[in-house]
Amino acid sequence: MKFFRAIDSGLAKIESSIVVSLVAIMILMAFLQVVLRNVFHTGVLWIDPFLRYLVLWLAFLGAMMATRQDRHIRIDILSGFLTPKLKRLSSTVTSLFSAAVCYLLFDASVTFVLDEKEFGGLLPLFTDVPIWYIQAIIPIGFAVMMVRFLLRSIDQTVAILRGLPPQEETP
Amino acid sequence: MEILLSGLLLLLLAFLGTPLFVIIAVIALLAFWASGIDTSAVIVEMFRLGSTPTLIAIPLFTFAGYMLAESNTPKRVVQLFQALFGWMPGGLAIVALVACAAFTAFTGASGVTIIALGGLLYPILIQEQYPERFSLGLVTTSGSLGLLFPPSLPIILYGVVAGQSIDQLFVAGLVPGLMLVALLSLYSVRKGITAGVPRTAFSAARVWRAVRGAVWEIPLPFLIIGGIYGGIITATEAAALTAFYVLIVEVFIYRDLKLFRDVPRIMRESMVLVGGILIILATALGLTNYLIDEQVPMQILDFIRESMDSRLLFLILLNIFLLIVGMMMDIFSATIVVVPLIVPIAQSFGIHPVHLGIIFLMNLEIGYLTPPVGLNLFISSFRFRKPVSNVYRSTLPYIGILLIALLIITYVPELSLWLVELFGVR
Repeated sequence: MKFFRAIDSGLAKIESSIVVSLVAIMILMAFLQVVLRNVFHTGVLWIDPFLRYLVLWLAFLGAMMATRQDRHIRIDILSGFLTPKLKRLSSTVTSLFSAAVCYLLFDASVTFVLDEKEFGGLLPLFTDVPIWYIQAIIPIGFAVMMVRFLLRSIDQTVAILRGLPPQEETP
Repeated sequence: MEILLSGLLLLLLAFLGTPLFVIIAVIALLAFWASGIDTSAVIVEMFRLGSTPTLIAIPLFTFAGYMLAESNTPKRVVQLFQALFGWMPGGLAIVALVACAAFTAFTGASGVTIIALGGLLYPILIQEQYPERFSLGLVTTSGSLGLLFPPSLPIILYGVVAGQSIDQLFVAGLVPGLMLVALLSLYSVRKGITAGVPRTAFSAARVWRAVRGAVWEIPLPFLIIGGIYGGIITATEAAALTAFYVLIVEVFIYRDLKLFRDVPRIMRESMVLVGGILIILATALGLTNYLIDEQVPMQILDFIRESMDSRLLFLILLNIFLLIVGMMMDIFSATIVVVPLIVPIAQSFGIHPVHLGIIFLMNLEIGYLTPPVGLNLFISSFRFRKPVSNVYRSTLPYIGILLIALLIITYVPELSLWLVELFGVR
């Protein structure tokens, strides 16, 4: 367990520096493009598709971070009525379920990326980069989320067995 | 039978707090399995996140909103509006309404407004002798006010999901949004007079000081609204300008935030929200595509058509349905899940998709406040340390006013659409 946790927090550091660089690049590139287009009536052709791919990457990296911090959007209307112990139990079940679904999505996205690798094309305008480089974030994202959901369900089970007090509430 | 059982099981898991994207993904996977299509088709649809140009506005505006929330902008904005409107009866309440509306337009996620601005305004309201219940209701309600103003994130998301022009939606929300602020302001003025709140004198020197203080924030709404309404820039371009402008102003001019200490943290924080929204959108793209292929909206439509043919009745039922949705779901997931289903149905009843967008957002705004589970009620109870039952009672008059506004917005489509036509926005 300790080993997995060390890997997870190492991963979180890498993740966070990638996110910060991508957001910074996005802000600068998007601004540059607006200035070029509206002031100089020109533009760099590859910036637009590049920005769109950044959105895809940020979506998955953001979702990975949300999984680690347990901050996904949810409809949580029952857990307010549960006792602390039941709350942990329900968190174990929902995390385990989420891990299983992330595995299925991981599996499906590996098929998708392998297909694209074989038959898919190159990136528009970066002719030497295959498009599956960009798409690879999808299986990576689901794999990481699966592991994190698993870790959470293990944590909650351990907490129930040890009879730990409930977590602090944050809205 | 099996479908019913697994449906109930999923519903239970969702209500117990399974992330919504997981629930939607399961439904999509099951649907594709059942019709014998390889599940990698779900992923093909997900990749559309990378081919939708308008989505770029979402991370950029979210980042800008988080930057504004973390800086001293809320303080400066409140000072400005206080100098401008503080002298009127109910003036401070109007300040709260206008400042929160402006702020929510930028931050989109309404909880942020209650925590950042409400926390600032509530003590001042109490100090100026506004009744406690009135003040609590006011800051709770103001938390979702402003969703109809550009560049609000929910409007952008509605545009993306419904396939409508975001520029048009931005224009359409303006008049209904202003009407909302005006109605609530009238109530505040009345309350200010009946509660005998002492008034402060207008001071030109104070206005001048406040204007000088907020001189870099004042151009922001004009940049966005003017730029888009004038057809000079698109919503996505406005997002690019806003993010860059806010970064420069907060870091290098006001120096509220440090480039290496605060900005990376805010980038991460804002991307957690962006990831949370977009991963739901990603999984929903697959499901929506399936539903449309299977003509599910059409089947619902046929069913509705059989039982009613009145547009008026449809709109009433739509409002009730959306209020329930808004009470149970947050605005982003509600948009992603519900909008693809209602747009074709509403269209067949002759409701313009842009008008529908305004109705939709207005309903969700009220849903945020609707007992027993409206999200803002809990955030407010948490932030101001009041029992939820107190918050329920305090928001009731406001819900009444918002419902009146909803009726007007729903049954007078011109309110939403005339500016769009006037400016000829496409």
